[in-house]
Amino acid sequence: TAGNKILHFGACRVSMSMTEIRAGFTAIKANIQARDPIRTLSILSYPHSLHKVNASDRCCITRHLFDFYVDKVFKHCKTEDSYVNRKISSIANSFLSTKRKLGQCHEQNQCVCGQESTEKFKQILANYEGLNVTSAAMKSLGELDILLDWME
Amino acid sequence: SGELYCSLLNPRNVRFESINMKNVLHWSAPEGTGNGVLYKVKYSVYGVGKWIRKPECKNINRTWCDLSSETSDYEEQYYASVKAFLNGMFSDWVETTRFNPLTDTKIDPPMVSVSSTDKSISIILTAPEKWKRSPEEESVSLLQVYPGLQYNVSLFNKKTKKRWFFSTSNHTLVVPWLEPETAYCVSAQIHITTPILDSGFSKEYCIATLKDK
Amino acid sequence: EEALLPAPQNISILSTNMKHFLTWSPVTNQGETVRYSVEFQGEYERVYANGSWIPISECSLITATVCNITEDISATVAYNLRVRAALGARRSEWGTLKGFFNRNTTSLTPPVMKVIADGYHLLVELEDMGPAFQFRVRYWRKGKERRMQQKVVKEVSSVVHLDTMEARAEYCVKAQSYVEAINRSSSFSQTQCVRAQGDTSMWL
Repeated sequence: TAGNKILHFGACRVSMSMTEIRAGFTAIKANIQARDPIRTLSILSYPHSLHKVNASDRCCITRHLFDFYVDKVFKHCKTEDSYVNRKISSIANSFLSTKRKLGQCHEQNQCVCGQESTEKFKQILANYEGLNVTSAAMKSLGELDILLDWME
Repeated sequence: SGELYCSLLNPRNVRFESINMKNVLHWSAPEGTGNGVLYKVKYSVYGVGKWIRKPECKNINRTWCDLSSETSDYEEQYYASVKAFLNGMFSDWVETTRFNPLTDTKIDPPMVSVSSTDKSISIILTAPEKWKRSPEEESVSLLQVYPGLQYNVSLFNKKTKKRWFFSTSNHTLVVPWLEPETAYCVSAQIHITTPILDSGFSKEYCIATLKDK
Repeated sequence: EEALLPAPQNISILSTNMKHFLTWSPVTNQGETVRYSVEFQGEYERVYANGSWIPISECSLITATVCNITEDISATVAYNLRVRAALGARRSEWGTLKGFFNRNTTSLTPPVMKVIADGYHLLVELEDMGPAFQFRVRYWRKGKERRMQQKVVKEVSSVVHLDTMEARAEYCVKAQSYVEAINRSSSFSQTQCVRAQGDTSMWL
């Protein structure tokens, strides 16, 4: 079924086509993860899992991560495979749609950033910048299910 | 006496097979090898630096290894790897793809129990439990793992040959106003929208409504 | 020098029930077979990926003048679409859809519905309109419109059970399709009424 998800962050409510994004990712997961040979580092989960983030910081971290994927990640994930590129486009455009809604929550002060989320996001950026941009982007895309699992 | 160093073909089709988060590593023997091949297994948590050997799966001749205990934290993702050896020859380590217990497991159908009165049928649905290390360990229902879990229930009237469907997130369903002395068969399926996971339908449980009082 | 192949004209979108098709007028060239290729550009590509275009492989060098773009229009954002003609090595300019296309403008029709009374049970059979669809089914006992009830049907497998009916009473049903991803519904279907099994003495 459609499997839209209403993400609740206090007063901030964001509707997101989770099933469509999951279906797009599932279709390319093996292909994308096979391009990431580095088993010993995770962009999103190192050193601590997203699951350790306080509930009060969830909205801010989610907003930062959607900005991160839209601004930094997707554009460096172009492949030689047209089908994979089309699925990445589908995910990227869905993320853009959700990123906007999270941005509106932020403008209405419903998505406040605490110390913890700021630190966590800094760590994610440090993990990302620790690799060359294509490897970092492909690894981040391969970890999309870590983000989606955590969001759900 | 031939080369000192001689490699064995690799194990094939190395993958996790998971049902209700009982996560078992499976593989096929290297091509063209009969009996006598032995294997060893290691696994790693994605994002963590080291490979960990599985002692219970060292020098084994079977082609599976239960890693449920090692992969029970479904907030993590995993890799596993297998190496074959025979008469001093050995293969490369062959890895699985990245395994995500939450999305890559299969779900068993729910347990279904039915009872009837003269005009109604009551159905109790129970979601399977997540794999656990021992019977003493506290049970975790998959309902706790997948909060959006729903049941699709099929009710088949054996007299009219008609099938009705119900969808519910409750674990009980009562269907009133049925025909007395009529046989009905019930089967049910688990449906999870995200991640996209559906069980098959359970086998059919048939029961007759009682004689009209 | 060979004349430039004209770009396809009259490029438009046909979008019904979340199925989207790009169509255009054929380019003619002395009876030779002209082929066409289609590309799309989502808002992400426009804003964040230097306006890049993505080819749709199923509509690459096709002879038809229609392309099913449903699978690629899979986010609720504004998309650009373009098509060009090809004849041998010759290529036309791109013909681009005038304005953007957003799937939230798709036209939604009510579901084909069949209402069934089976004994005391009110059931409905609904057309499978695709994974994006759910259905709001409203039903009421005839004459008691104010006590109308609603059920959201997400799984369209077959005959869906709505409710039980009082003996001999007439019940009416109507349904609308709903797409969560764009938060829009169709109009309601025609109302259909059925009567519950009659003779109470047979069972009571």
